[in-house]
Amino acid sequence: MSELRDNGLKPRVLVCECAGTMGENIDFERLERAFADVAEVERSPVWCNRQGQARLLELMEEDGSRPLVFAGCSQDFANRRFHRLFERGLRLEVADIREGCSWVHNGDSESVTDKARRIVEAAIEFPGAHDDKMVLENRVDSVLVIGGGVSGTQAAAELAQMGHRVELVERRPFLGGRAARIGTVFPTNDCGQCLPTTDAQAGVRKCFHRNVAIDNENMNIWRRATVESVSGRPGDFEVSLRQLPNIVTQDCVNCGLCEEVCQVGSEEEGGKAIFSEFYDGRVQRTVDLEACTFCGACAEACPVDAIDFSQSPELTTVHAGAILTAVGCEPAPARLVEHLGYGHEHVVTQTEMAELMDEWEEASWLGEQPVKELVMIQCAGSRDRRRLPYCSRICCMIALKHAIRLRTLFPEMKVTICYLEMRAAGVGYENWFLAARRAGVEFLRGTPSEVQFDAEGRPVIEVEDVTAAEKKILRPDLVVLSTGMVPANDAGRIAEVLNVDLDEDGFIDILDRKNRATETTTEGVFVCGSAAGPKALVECNTEASAVASEIHNFLSSAGRKSVPASTVDAAKCIGCDTCEAACPFGAINLIERPADAPRPAEVKGDGKLAVIDGEACRGCGICAAKCPELAITHNLSDDALFGRLRTMTGGVERPVVGFYCKECAGAAISLSGLRHDHYPDSVRLIELPCLGRISALHIIEAARLGAAGIFLAGCAEERCQYRTGDLSAEEQIELARELLEEAGTPIPLELWHLCAVDRHTVGRRIRLFCARAEGSEEAYRAGIELERVGSVPCAGGGDCVHASA
Amino acid sequence: MSTLVPEQARATVRELEAQCRQCLQCGQCIGACPNGFELELGPRRVVRMILSQDVEKLLKCEDVWRCSECQACTEACPMEVDVAGMMGRVRELQMEFGGVRCPERKVAEIATKRLSRKNKIDNMLFGTAMVSRGFIPSDLLATAEMGIKMSTGKVRRRPRLTVEGTEPKPFYAGCSLQQDKEAFNATAKVARELGFPLAEQEGAGCCGHGSRGKVPAKLETDKSVFTVCPACDYSLQEVEIETEPVWQALVEHARREELKLAAAKPRFVPYVGCLTDRETALGSLADAAELADAEMVSSYPGLHAGCCGALGAMFRGPTEAVLKLIDFAAENEAPIVTPCLLCRDNVRSAVRSAKKKVHVYFWPEFFQAAGTAATTADGEADD
Ligand code: SF4
Ligand code: SF4
Ligand code: SF4
Repeated sequence: MSELRDNGLKPRVLVCECAGTMGENIDFERLERAFADVAEVERSPVWCNRQGQARLLELMEEDGSRPLVFAGCSQDFANRRFHRLFERGLRLEVADIREGCSWVHNGDSESVTDKARRIVEAAIEFPGAHDDKMVLENRVDSVLVIGGGVSGTQAAAELAQMGHRVELVERRPFLGGRAARIGTVFPTNDCGQCLPTTDAQAGVRKCFHRNVAIDNENMNIWRRATVESVSGRPGDFEVSLRQLPNIVTQDCVNCGLCEEVCQVGSEEEGGKAIFSEFYDGRVQRTVDLEACTFCGACAEACPVDAIDFSQSPELTTVHAGAILTAVGCEPAPARLVEHLGYGHEHVVTQTEMAELMDEWEEASWLGEQPVKELVMIQCAGSRDRRRLPYCSRICCMIALKHAIRLRTLFPEMKVTICYLEMRAAGVGYENWFLAARRAGVEFLRGTPSEVQFDAEGRPVIEVEDVTAAEKKILRPDLVVLSTGMVPANDAGRIAEVLNVDLDEDGFIDILDRKNRATETTTEGVFVCGSAAGPKALVECNTEASAVASEIHNFLSSAGRKSVPASTVDAAKCIGCDTCEAACPFGAINLIERPADAPRPAEVKGDGKLAVIDGEACRGCGICAAKCPELAITHNLSDDALFGRLRTMTGGVERPVVGFYCKECAGAAISLSGLRHDHYPDSVRLIELPCLGRISALHIIEAARLGAAGIFLAGCAEERCQYRTGDLSAEEQIELARELLEEAGTPIPLELWHLCAVDRHTVGRRIRLFCARAEGSEEAYRAGIELERVGSVPCAGGGDCVHASA
Repeated sequence: MSTLVPEQARATVRELEAQCRQCLQCGQCIGACPNGFELELGPRRVVRMILSQDVEKLLKCEDVWRCSECQACTEACPMEVDVAGMMGRVRELQMEFGGVRCPERKVAEIATKRLSRKNKIDNMLFGTAMVSRGFIPSDLLATAEMGIKMSTGKVRRRPRLTVEGTEPKPFYAGCSLQQDKEAFNATAKVARELGFPLAEQEGAGCCGHGSRGKVPAKLETDKSVFTVCPACDYSLQEVEIETEPVWQALVEHARREELKLAAAKPRFVPYVGCLTDRETALGSLADAAELADAEMVSSYPGLHAGCCGALGAMFRGPTEAVLKLIDFAAENEAPIVTPCLLCRDNVRSAVRSAKKKVHVYFWPEFFQAAGTAATTADGEADD
């Protein structure tokens, strides 16, 4: 017990009796005596009450440089109890002898006291690294938003209002995207071209064409522009933009003379090569550059000389601290619904139906009914493993909206919806389903596999009515396909430029489906709206606001609290690239080894050297665990880790060693401790920042130290906060298993996936594992039997019935 | 009851269950099934029974015998369940464990009984085919002998198939054409006259179509063969023998060589049955119509591709699909033309039982090379 802290001062150990709750199995006199030589020991019945904290403050102020070790409750618990003192700079090395020892073991004072002693000893000798204030390089206070649809524009407007500079890039000449063009939207049944934000009246929706938030002076709108390339780093990206000219200048008064003279057809609204879309309002008119023949007829006709064909494309570079991609999605291509007759004049998609709706409404005013019978087919090309395997989530609601409107306009029209499931799970959506049934829409459960046509060209649909279990023939006049949505056609290119992953369906992959739905796999690059998968307008609006505040946080975090980054020892690194491939955050790069860099003997002149980008490193330790040369130092060094292992496994013949990740598994274990759920004191736990820190070497060392069994407890599957820590641990445990088997000394090795809900069961799991490790398979079975008999959940407290196996 | 089901059957169903867990119960399989209107349960519910491991019901389910193994359901399934395969596995299961529940045997029995009383019904020939494939109980030896006699060629004149000087194409006649000398002659005639020589594969045996039991195909060749029966195409392809329907090849040939065809009547209703590839088959009939200046009257493709009534190999009475087709033909006062000989017989039987005046032709009976005697048969349904 000699390695003391850097400053050479003996540490002070504050022993807490926690109001007598540990007296039953910890002999405090003995515990105190154990450290008398190496530390100043001060014991108190309660450290966290008023007097205790006052005394702690005194110690801090008197003797600030002396390391403090607190032997009492867990880190989590102590953090909460002493938070005021922590705010004032208190640094405590916590040795959890309460929920990590006394509370989870039964009465054998001798062995429990010895274990407590070891916990304190490990904390004195091998203290953990303290969180550092990492200073991040300055973040450019501007955001590049790609996509001027409803999601992108709203997020851009909100960010601009927060005071950030915004570069909004839109591929088309007009803002508003799909939603503004589509007509009415659910669940409100009004137009899709309003944003919920305005400067003047927060929370009041306003049309796109007159929404002052979009005209915020912090916002710079790039129409007809695309992102060519991105370089730089999170916090300071350099983006090159390519912008096509609008041809029609701001002088345009929208008289429409140009459109009259234009003889060239186009797909755009109005059908001419010079056209306008009125919902944007900021740009009056533009030219379809693909269709235009540059004949100049419009320029001649223009009374205000607003048409200028001399403009050319421009390349510009902008800087952005963060990037938001909101490129949206688009309707599935025709080839996915050809089997349902798409391409035939009597078959349309719901998007086309939305456009037809205006015409049909007019027809209804004249008392006309365009068709007698109409069939909608849900999941057209969707939820189909050969076409679109996913559910686009909005098609059911669109169908309901259209069906209700049709039945309202034309009470004589027969409207049938062939569906598989009606997915109406949003707020108030079920009412739409009810309303549709009440409106007399017929719901036929069953999906047609094809649409055929008779000699007159009328659609014929053979479909099983699944509920009635019989096959039927429908002969509608019009078939409406509820097609799914697919990623925007340049989503793949954008992802490549931004270096973000796509998910299995080709949409921008989000970092975490539960908690971080607006972050991509690349730091500093965000996503919102349908770019990450088809969404209703409701969700797009919500996500736009969410991502704006997310980006605001990102840009404002000039420094963040973080553990120190890992470092590579050039004298050991052989440039093998194992770490580069293993780092889940791309923080490691192999560089040409500088001439003056230290090197291992076997590395000659040139060769590579791994370097870690301190800002990108999150400190998971996966690289340190995998480096074959042990060249990487993690903030929990190998010395400390092996040291803790040695200290903790002493004093008991056949310890059961548990390495656990301090996140989810840590939560389960410490909460289980709070419940006083008992397990044998031969269990020795070692906390890790992430299970990825473990290497086969650590496991084998534990076995060498006499472990009867070893378990690794990490987060729930695929929920590692460092993305691949559990996978790395799985590899390492398998490697260790092989090595131990080869050596002829196999012991039980298990990998557990835990989360906080497992607090009820983890105690039992540890007890059973001990039975298995210490005894034979029969003992394990007997253990299970025993647990079953006494399966009343442990109530904790003094009369806990759990006996150690 | 459950104790009577052998564990082995349960184990098989458990295996099948694991293969269809992704089923959505969407019903697309029934929607696509040409026999869909005749089925009591249909493939979706067979899959459902597999999923719920209702072995007793599966062993009693007759629908699996109404399946013509056309694969339409498997092709339609959005979840990639091998639906047709499931139907087949349940059939096998019934053969192994259900015993009496194999309607094929019953049908063959009935057919052979009728055969001994009245020897000119359309199904007779088909029944004989069943005889040669061993579906006849051994005590009905006389019938079996008759079948053998018919298939040894003693009772038919062998028509000339080859044309001098050209390389004859390997031709696989299968069982149905072998039994019907008129049809055989008509096929040979049109091929000869169009200058498309065929060389019959001697002793080629049964194609082994699965729904007739597990008779392996006897033919061994590495060449592509021409066929007249879609079931033959299907089964030969199973054993990796390439096939091409001869009439399709003939139409293509005629088109290429700019030969004209002659039709027996100015207009006709096409019918391709469930096993034939619907798109190509209807396309070839349309082409033939064009080459013969005849009019093809059709409604939607499904109507011309439903089940003929040979549910599970034997005619069991007209199906809804074929009755609709006959109505359509009667309304349009046009005969029905089909490229499948089995379909012709079954549709004829259906016409008779529906008491309609509609003629049904096998393709070479309707189309001949232009300038030759137009037809050898009149497509009559009556005796
Ligand atoms: S500690 Fe983790 S994040 Fe840091 S460099 Fe190593 S693997 Fe990457
Ligand atoms: S088509 Fe496929 S998924 Fe649909 S009910 Fe049939 S087997 Fe199931
Ligand atoms: S294989 Fe054909 S006949 Fe059999 S169930 Fe499938 S679709 Fe129906």
